[in-house]
Amino acid sequence: MTTETSVIGKSLPMLDAYEKVTGKLKYAGDMPAHHRMHYAKVLRSPYAHARVVSIDTSAAEALPGVSAVITHQDDITGKQKTCGTPWVDPSFNFRGPMISEEVCFVGDEVAAVSAVDEDVAREALKLIEVEYEELPAVFDLEEAMRADAPQVRPWGPNTLPPSLFEWGDIEQGFAEADMILENRVTMGNQQHAPLDRNACIASWEGDRLSVWTSTQALFWMRDALTDFFDLSPSKVRVYSTPTGGSFGLWWGNNFMFLAAALARKSKRPVRLVLTRDEVQTTVKRRERPLIDVKIGLTKDGRMTAQSFRHILDNGAYGNKFDPYQSVADIYTTEHGRVEFIGVATNLVTAGCMRGVGDLTLAYAIEQTVDMAAEKLDMDPVEFHLMNHWKTGDICHTSQEVVFAKLLFNKNPQVELTSSGLAECITRGADAIDWSNKWKGWGKPSSVEGHKVRGIGMGISTHISGLAFFGFNGITVKVNPDGTMALTTGIGRMGQAGDTTQAMVCAEVMGVELEDINVIDGDSEVCGHTMVTFGSNGMHMVARATKAAAEHAREQLLEYAAKHLEANAADLDIKDRRVFVKGSEERGVTLKELMSTPIYEYLAPPEVIGSASKGVEFEKAGKMMMADFAEVEIDTRTAQMKLLKFVAVHDSGTIVNPAVCENQVAGGYYQSMGFSTTEHLVFDDETGAILNPNFMDYKLMGPLDMPDPEIMFEEVYDEHGPFGAKGIGEGVTCAVPIAISNAVYNAIGARIDPPITPDKILQALKPKT
Amino acid sequence: MEYYSPTDLNEAYALLDKYGEDAIPIAGSTFYMGHREELFDEVEAVINIKQLGLSYIRQDGDGLHIGATTTLNEIFAHGLTRKGPFGILATTVQELNINEVRNMATIGGEVCIAGEVDMPTTLLAYDADIVIGGSKGVRRMSMADFHIGYLNNALEPGEMVLEVQLPQPPANTGGGFAKFERTAADLPIVNVATRISLDDAGVCTDARVVAGAATLSGIPERSGAAEAALLNQVIDAALIEAAAAASADVACINDFRVSAEIRSLWVKCGIEDALKRAFAAARQGEQS
Amino acid sequence: MNAINLKINKEHYDVLVKPHWSLAYVIREKVGLTGTKTGCEMGTCGSCTLLLDGKPVFSCLRMAIDAQGCDIRTIEGVEEENNGELHPLQEAFVQDHGMQCGFCTPGMIIAAKHLLEHNPDPTEQEVREAIGGHLCRCGTYIRIVRSILNAAAVMRAGS
Repeated sequence: MTTETSVIGKSLPMLDAYEKVTGKLKYAGDMPAHHRMHYAKVLRSPYAHARVVSIDTSAAEALPGVSAVITHQDDITGKQKTCGTPWVDPSFNFRGPMISEEVCFVGDEVAAVSAVDEDVAREALKLIEVEYEELPAVFDLEEAMRADAPQVRPWGPNTLPPSLFEWGDIEQGFAEADMILENRVTMGNQQHAPLDRNACIASWEGDRLSVWTSTQALFWMRDALTDFFDLSPSKVRVYSTPTGGSFGLWWGNNFMFLAAALARKSKRPVRLVLTRDEVQTTVKRRERPLIDVKIGLTKDGRMTAQSFRHILDNGAYGNKFDPYQSVADIYTTEHGRVEFIGVATNLVTAGCMRGVGDLTLAYAIEQTVDMAAEKLDMDPVEFHLMNHWKTGDICHTSQEVVFAKLLFNKNPQVELTSSGLAECITRGADAIDWSNKWKGWGKPSSVEGHKVRGIGMGISTHISGLAFFGFNGITVKVNPDGTMALTTGIGRMGQAGDTTQAMVCAEVMGVELEDINVIDGDSEVCGHTMVTFGSNGMHMVARATKAAAEHAREQLLEYAAKHLEANAADLDIKDRRVFVKGSEERGVTLKELMSTPIYEYLAPPEVIGSASKGVEFEKAGKMMMADFAEVEIDTRTAQMKLLKFVAVHDSGTIVNPAVCENQVAGGYYQSMGFSTTEHLVFDDETGAILNPNFMDYKLMGPLDMPDPEIMFEEVYDEHGPFGAKGIGEGVTCAVPIAISNAVYNAIGARIDPPITPDKILQALKPKT
Repeated sequence: MEYYSPTDLNEAYALLDKYGEDAIPIAGSTFYMGHREELFDEVEAVINIKQLGLSYIRQDGDGLHIGATTTLNEIFAHGLTRKGPFGILATTVQELNINEVRNMATIGGEVCIAGEVDMPTTLLAYDADIVIGGSKGVRRMSMADFHIGYLNNALEPGEMVLEVQLPQPPANTGGGFAKFERTAADLPIVNVATRISLDDAGVCTDARVVAGAATLSGIPERSGAAEAALLNQVIDAALIEAAAAASADVACINDFRVSAEIRSLWVKCGIEDALKRAFAAARQGEQS
Repeated sequence: MNAINLKINKEHYDVLVKPHWSLAYVIREKVGLTGTKTGCEMGTCGSCTLLLDGKPVFSCLRMAIDAQGCDIRTIEGVEEENNGELHPLQEAFVQDHGMQCGFCTPGMIIAAKHLLEHNPDPTEQEVREAIGGHLCRCGTYIRIVRSILNAAAVMRAGS
């Protein structure tokens, strides 16, 4: 089902584009100083694992200009399970004490200082004397899983209990197979690396706390503050500013709370701005996986069973134990088994980053599938078309299933609402000219001297939000001139979430996008809105936005019915005007309607639409994508160059094509980074990060890659507003595997990210 | 910390004498500001040398003179360096894909730093001399002697670099530059500069083959073996390949960026590419 | 502390600075012009680009005290220079979606403005080279380049 739309589907400029091009947009670090505000700096652990035996802050405190020093002795400790669901806290990077006596990674917080300026604060850090007792540390995933491994952090085992999903009969599934493929994959450590460095200003008025920071988790931020400082939510107000990119970094952080603690102690507003090194090395990174894949196939290429074990590196404080989304469902098999195990290491905390879980697991699955197709001597495109996931199939490894079990001890089934995978695969193959460039297994697509070219593909899926992220409470208020204010907690992370929500509102209300002001980022003003991650904005939050707009529209039509002496059911709104369907000349503009007194009240109407909606989880809309890459390996220099890239996405209806194109392009650039030069290098001995900045953690720049060809397969999803699904995260997921499979086609070697010249050189050496 | 912006050389020398090793002369300030956290406790005085009239490029009978505070983009834009025997200077600048840094960084700064920059590699290939000034007078030193080690040079306390001089190469000389990076805007992982002079019969009368950024010593190094392979020979593709293959005498550093093995490979490939360019340029000189 | 005077977007500001303070820091924290962003503070991201005596430089690598007497132009001055209206580059970035989060945008626009002032009809490669030292972590380079090329066309048509 599709409907004709007037706003949805247009590449309208972002609502805050003007602020962005003029430099007026205020990110957290741009917030004006408060009166008497002091500046904070953080003392960080040089050890991967140690106990603070003693800490002497007297010299720092005595330094003129220093207003407060906090250490573990201040004993600010959160209590678990503050945010209402069991999921939130464990992966909140919860660490109990805000500053712990036991530091668990290089860069962990040891003390924080506030002072009259950053120079004094920095000076004060040097005056703090700390005596550490070094403790044994563990960095390797498998070592950390051993019974005799050092315990990474003060509580709990390193290895969390696995989350296990089983369907059908896995033994039977493999018994039915003519061929079984096994594969083990690990990858590098990517970091989110937003260009913006986060900042936080905290200020207390008596027992009321206000915090300004760029976060994608407005309400979790508030709830964590209530927890740390034992406050009612009515005493905490969080203002979330736009983020200069986040990609999953700006939630579940600890540093924001330090400013609040310092502000309380110093009785002043306190600002903490992270340095680039701190952004890169002390907040979070993408989890490093260790994945075992086993698939069974019949001779004709049908997959009979799939089994995965996905071990997730949690780093020091991550606490993941569940599927990072649910990509095991790329393929439909009758029998399956999937196990997720979270493991702690004494490295910087690992947690969600754009495409979390699906990127790594899709990589492992798709590599194994490529191996299988080779064994079957089958064209990969053909294999994918035969086996891929289809509309109505079951999401066997959904996180929702985990939480239904945890919260209600039930075992529900989650069903996929729509899949355009087949079309994505076919269109992508055409666009990259697969039929001509694919020369068969063991044959590069071309060889010219020392330049060898290869072609590869990969598919993936990703969630479009998860129901347990919570309810969405949205309001739409119509102004006297017919413009309106949309209040939402969706925030502004750069993905134009505010703009696309406003487009949904404008579509329902029959007005233009420019008529809508979005009010966001204030925990006291906004209704609870899902944490802005998991690509939930369009598929889930917008359901409430649409409902709130429909509620406002109903009221408008009621008042218009009085005004026009018509039946509300006979009315429609278009171009800012309410009119009688069939006789359009009978109408009233919104402006006239909203500013004209109604006889009964002797006053013009006030219209406020609202909706607060949870999302039923048993029907899940997922985004689907098929990516195709052509690479060139220079066998002389062992370098790889990407020549061509095609990305075809099914995100349902595309609400704003330009915004969505930027999303897909962004995923392509970031995942090319993941595939090649974006890799945090840890020192084997110390666990310290050797490339803590952009000098050596290399992001892709404007000269590095060809523009991708981007296409959308707009499969209308009955559950998404106007047929839309999510897009923001899945864009990264199939990129690395398409590139890696293309490298295999070129030189016959499986090289896992990061694909470096060193690995290529080793692969090119004749096997002895 | 004190800041000075002297307007004549004697004033600058007096300040350098006063602060000795605790003073840092700055011009483009890219290195100092990029490392200000680490250098903060070491530096007592910052001496801005941009007002000393050291931004110039001129040619005379001795060759090319480039003032220490001349920026990379000034070098790039200057007619004397864009083509002809010194065209390699513009090529070297062009290989740095960060226009803003080219507007700031100076040749004097790059010479003092060595390490992960491009210009010293090229200057060594062109037998450049460094003119050094101080209250005790002016002295000159070859590039080869100037660099002691990674981020370390032969300046005595109280001295600063005034000028870089490139001798006029003979006719039929060509230069070639090559570079390997991780991304287009990166530190050089390997850079190579070469210079070839040919006689009328096409025999190589002089050759320089220099690799930088990748060396174990931390400073640009000549490959004696590669140069020896070229000298007194008629150059062709096979000889260039042989010269490049001989470059194993340049020991490369192994670190988290890339392995020594890759650096050695890239030194070899870079030499091959740069020699081809130098040979083509030298032959062009022949024809003109 | 050293008392200096900075001329930014034709206005004069008296500020007290320490020698190691960067121009980016002083413009943001002491003058209050926060359109100039600081992503890395070591010359590797391009966010802090401004025009100093007409040339694009990274203001995180320039000492504020060394910018006395210079003509400094930041993103905040671009509209004003264009008679209070959006510069064609700004207009193109808005219409062509030359951004997502917007953090790199001021630096991109400043670098592009310098390019177009000196090369009104650049090739795509020249555009990419002009922003070669600028990162966009959202990866919107396709549309950044398109915005700059479209703005160039508008400016050529208008002149």
